[in-house]
Amino acid sequence: MLIKIQIILGTLSIGLLIFTLELIRKKKLREEYSILWLSTGVATLVFSLAPMFFLTKFFSRITGLFYLSAAVLIIFLFLLLIVLHFSVVISKLTDRNTELAQRYALLELEFLKFKKPTISEGGP
Amino acid sequence: MSSKNILIIVPAYNEERSIGEVIEGVQRCLPQSDILVVNDGSTDRTSEKAKASHAIVLDLPFNLGIGGAVQTGYRYACEKGYDIAVQVDGDGQHSPHEIFKLVDALEKKKVDMVIGSRFIGNPGYRASPMRRLGIAILSRIISLIVRQRVTDPTSGFRAVNRNAIQLFASDYPQDYPEPEILVLLSRSGLKMKEIPVKIVQRSYGESSITWIRSAYYMIKVLLAIFVDCFKKRPVVGQGGKTC
Repeated sequence: MLIKIQIILGTLSIGLLIFTLELIRKKKLREEYSILWLSTGVATLVFSLAPMFFLTKFFSRITGLFYLSAAVLIIFLFLLLIVLHFSVVISKLTDRNTELAQRYALLELEFLKFKKPTISEGGP
Repeated sequence: MSSKNILIIVPAYNEERSIGEVIEGVQRCLPQSDILVVNDGSTDRTSEKAKASHAIVLDLPFNLGIGGAVQTGYRYACEKGYDIAVQVDGDGQHSPHEIFKLVDALEKKKVDMVIGSRFIGNPGYRASPMRRLGIAILSRIISLIVRQRVTDPTSGFRAVNRNAIQLFASDYPQDYPEPEILVLLSRSGLKMKEIPVKIVQRSYGESSITWIRSAYYMIKVLLAIFVDCFKKRPVVGQGGKTC
């Protein structure tokens, strides 16, 4: 039973790592946002290599959890962290977007005032 | 009225039917003031109508919502050095005669912001019971926080002086700004005052606030006010930073 889970988890984490690296390579993902994803991939990969060690020796010692579901819970919390991180990033982007739109509108007004005479002089 | 520079800020989102009337009304009552229409990404002909009425028109490239739109107006006022800015809704519910009263009160009462309240000695304004309840809850809570009686925290009819213009240009809440602004203003040490105004009931369409939206409104505003109490106090009048 455990070996099945090991294979599935291992394949998934390798897939996640390759996919993340590929996204960085194609510049679809910035390095700063990839760190959390890469560490998720590495963490699950290491876990899938020796689940018994982590479950019985490592996790149980620091958390007191014995079951595989405990590992799932930890991964889930990690993903939650990533989502929270994204919300922070989106909020920052929204603020900057607003600021940009405002400056754009203010500059456009100035620009049109400056531009008008040249159009009427040069135009037909 | 004194010779101060006055800017009338009119945020407008799809208000082509009323915007011309609003601008002309203001021009008639306060011919010495400048009118700035902030077109918040309207999909109709709001911008053209406003330009045809000889207002200054700021076209935002997309819809920012009322907070972002109004703040753009304050930034303009800040940059151009206006002494007084008055915020007037584009849907025509604020009568231009009342603007005069707001500006007059701003100068005489020596405060930084004057709010036109619909609820001081004015039975003319009718609202649904739900809305009345919401406003009552908000005004109680805000009155407690700002240690001053506030009757109409959601009113968007306001006149402010140079201090408040500078504050708003650098820091203005985005989603539902009206109640939050009161807390922000009091935390930065500026003074405000409410005066009674008459409101023209909306002539076009119903208010867009539905049941779910009003619940969301209340939660969002209360949360924002609560968080504001723990934020760093905004500093006013540092000069030259934003404009």
